[in-house]
Amino acid sequence: MSNDVLVIGGGIAGIQAALDLAEMGIQVHMVERLPSIGGKMAQLDKTFPTNDCAI
Amino acid sequence: MEQVSGEVGAFQVAVRKKARYVNENLCTGCGACAEKCPTMVVDVFNAGLGNRKAIYKYFPQGIPSVFTIDAAACRQLGQGKKCGVCAKVCQAKAVDYDQKDTLIQLEVGAVVIATGYEVFDPSVIPEYGYDRIPNVVTALEFERLLSASGPTAGHLDRPSELALVKEMEEAEKEHKKLQRQVSQLEEKHGKPSSEIVAAFQSGTLPDDADLRNWALLAQDLASLEARLDSMNRRKATASVARKLAFIQCVGSRDFRFNPFCSSYCCMHSVKEAMIAHEHDNGVHSSIFCMDLRAVGRGFEEYKLRGGKQANIRYIRGRVAEITQDEALNPVVWYESTQNRQVVHETFDLVILATACVPSPGAAELARQFQVELDRNGFFKTDPLAPLNTSRPGVFVCGCAQGPMDIPESVAQASSAAARAAEIVAPARQAVG
Repeated sequence: MSNDVLVIGGGIAGIQAALDLAEMGIQVHMVERLPSIGGKMAQLDKTFPTNDCAI
Repeated sequence: MEQVSGEVGAFQVAVRKKARYVNENLCTGCGACAEKCPTMVVDVFNAGLGNRKAIYKYFPQGIPSVFTIDAAACRQLGQGKKCGVCAKVCQAKAVDYDQKDTLIQLEVGAVVIATGYEVFDPSVIPEYGYDRIPNVVTALEFERLLSASGPTAGHLDRPSELALVKEMEEAEKEHKKLQRQVSQLEEKHGKPSSEIVAAFQSGTLPDDADLRNWALLAQDLASLEARLDSMNRRKATASVARKLAFIQCVGSRDFRFNPFCSSYCCMHSVKEAMIAHEHDNGVHSSIFCMDLRAVGRGFEEYKLRGGKQANIRYIRGRVAEITQDEALNPVVWYESTQNRQVVHETFDLVILATACVPSPGAAELARQFQVELDRNGFFKTDPLAPLNTSRPGVFVCGCAQGPMDIPESVAQASSAAARAAEIVAPARQAVG
């Protein structure tokens, strides 16, 4: 048995899942294909419907 | 991902950690290497609209804040040339050309797949001219144009003008080189080039390789100057994009490509039109759609606000074709369903709201994990267990399971985290 979780993908969904798991005290391994996490959302300037800045 | 075995509670996963060629424990992220790197590469993060160096950070705020060498583009690693500039300037001694990929063995109790999506490539729709007409861009490219940290620092410069500036830079470099060569020849022979060109054209030039070469160079210089002149005139009349057209459902709800609705693009286009208007109040946008789907909380109000405050016009009609006029303005041909006529209108810039399609690695990942994909290529889930894949202990959230917007992705991610925690949380094991 292992108590770790593997999160595949470091976009907004992967980051949120990993942070939630870490908050619960669970060891998370994140795998990301690109050199930086952030995914598509990092490419966005602002987000709807509030026009808040993205990541 | 290399290999997966085991079952819920105890999966064994082999992960290949790709070489960065930079020691991430030593790199301080100072950027001296990228400043001095001689190789320019097209910047994927800026949707191909800008350039970066071969040693790079994916984007300025990228985490982890360390540099990576793009081995294929690097002179030293990919092209076998002598370079080593980045290693020389790195004070932290972090550059390591001998770094190798490493295989990491993990044992995990549960897996969350959050591999996201890919943007549909609109060049397969010939009538929209994406690869022919420079001023037709995708929504993601437009996002980079709008961004203050993007290639145009947020100004709505048109791609045709960006290309012109680049072309002019190259032409000016070439011009300097030719001018230097020609003036050297003029000095050497003590004659003006015009005399030689005239003699060459009338066929009275003595049969001398040096003189012939001079005449050809001088001719090239003259034609380059004429080209630079016309480019300068074009640049003088160039203006920023103020009249925008957004085309919805590009590759979505289209049975030739993807039958499904990509769900976020309607609001994405409204947002881009609003941000563009915020940046420059002279911007007018037209959104061409079959219907505008504003189903989330606050979305309908957002759409109406766009129409009232941000000069957005919503036009019901599917665009049939995009052509280009002589000034490189895209012309949009569509059927107006209000007055039942085929009409056309000229714009400064056309933005294609491209579909959300499965990420290219999804099929391979599904094979490794032995989970099913749905008929569109996203990870298959059950309507009553929307985070479960077909394999126990493997969950999926966000656009990996289908198109959705950011709030929905975040909500699903938290749910998937909770489901994964149910499996690995020590309390559960104590009871079980």
